[in-house]
Amino acid sequence: MTRKSLLAIPVLFGFAAFAALAGGALPIGATIPMADVKMKNVDGKELDLAEVKKPAGTLVVFTCNHCPFAKMWESRIVELGNTYAAKGIGVVAINANDPKVATDDSFDVMQQRAKERGMRFPYAVDATSNLARAFGATKTPEAFLFDKEGKLVYHGAIDDNGQEPSKVENAYLKLALEAVLNGGDVPVKETKSIGCGIKFRS
Amino acid sequence: MVHPPRIMSTIAALVLAVSVVLPPAAAPVPAPAGAEAILAEVRKPGAGAVLVNVWATWCSPCREEFPDLLHVARELAPKGLRLVLVSVDFAGAEAETTRFLTSQGVDFRTFVRTGKDEAFVDGLEPQWSGAIPATFLYDANGKLVRFWEGKASYPVIKKRAQKALDTKEIR
Repeated sequence: MTRKSLLAIPVLFGFAAFAALAGGALPIGATIPMADVKMKNVDGKELDLAEVKKPAGTLVVFTCNHCPFAKMWESRIVELGNTYAAKGIGVVAINANDPKVATDDSFDVMQQRAKERGMRFPYAVDATSNLARAFGATKTPEAFLFDKEGKLVYHGAIDDNGQEPSKVENAYLKLALEAVLNGGDVPVKETKSIGCGIKFRS
Repeated sequence: MVHPPRIMSTIAALVLAVSVVLPPAAAPVPAPAGAEAILAEVRKPGAGAVLVNVWATWCSPCREEFPDLLHVARELAPKGLRLVLVSVDFAGAEAETTRFLTSQGVDFRTFVRTGKDEAFVDGLEPQWSGAIPATFLYDANGKLVRFWEGKASYPVIKKRAQKALDTKEIR
């Protein structure tokens, strides 16, 4: 290793630490961060985002068991996840909440929920909450969609109406998933919804 | 002659008896408001600083933070601090919201947000990700001086509110 590359390590590390501290979500165009961090899935096996990633595109949804907003969108998350996983998109739901703060976010309850809701994609634990930090995720639910090149093309809400699914006017995530599958432009790249603040582990 | 401490204890007993007999005044039912109405509340003349807190009855960090927010608001109200509480509870949760506000001794007008999430979040503050609890601190001119997501403790809220009050004169 050259002296220059040795010097680059603290610089890069410092930048990552700064980015994490400065906050802000992963920018559009960014690649999947911390793809080699192992997470425990509800099936008891470990997986990382590199394994979730698929050539057609990758969907990462930060969600949880306890939050009423996550529950409100839950059936839509499961439906989208199941549908697009079957179409070749890599899909994972991640729970970054500290179960000491939100007891319903324990691994047991995650297993129960995944089974009850018929999730046909992994629902995994971000055991340090560092993945959520790296993505700049702040709340549940919050979606991040990466395209065929592995670049972030959509970040934000599932759709524009959590409370009344029949009154959704913009199914943001679905439109983005369709665009990724069909090679089109994602119409709306960043959206917001109100959600439960992630209970980060300290 | 009645011993002074005895007078004090008699008064204390009376106060306690009255407070036990009389339930606290019911909090007003939160008024529906979009982001513009909340900002209008912030800019109403007369405040030296304004704290806007977005919360929900089922949000545990919100509930934990609530007494501290009210404590600061009561202490600094004479100095011009105004507290604007905005619930994001869902439609149909009015009774539960009002019950919680009453249990916290809230006797002033509060709000429940209306409209779509994105319009509300960006209308209130584009820097806000939409996570709750969220607290926004404005100076006397209605300019945002600080905002934070997640709960803060009493000393932190007080210090920040005090600083916002110190920097500007009351409108």
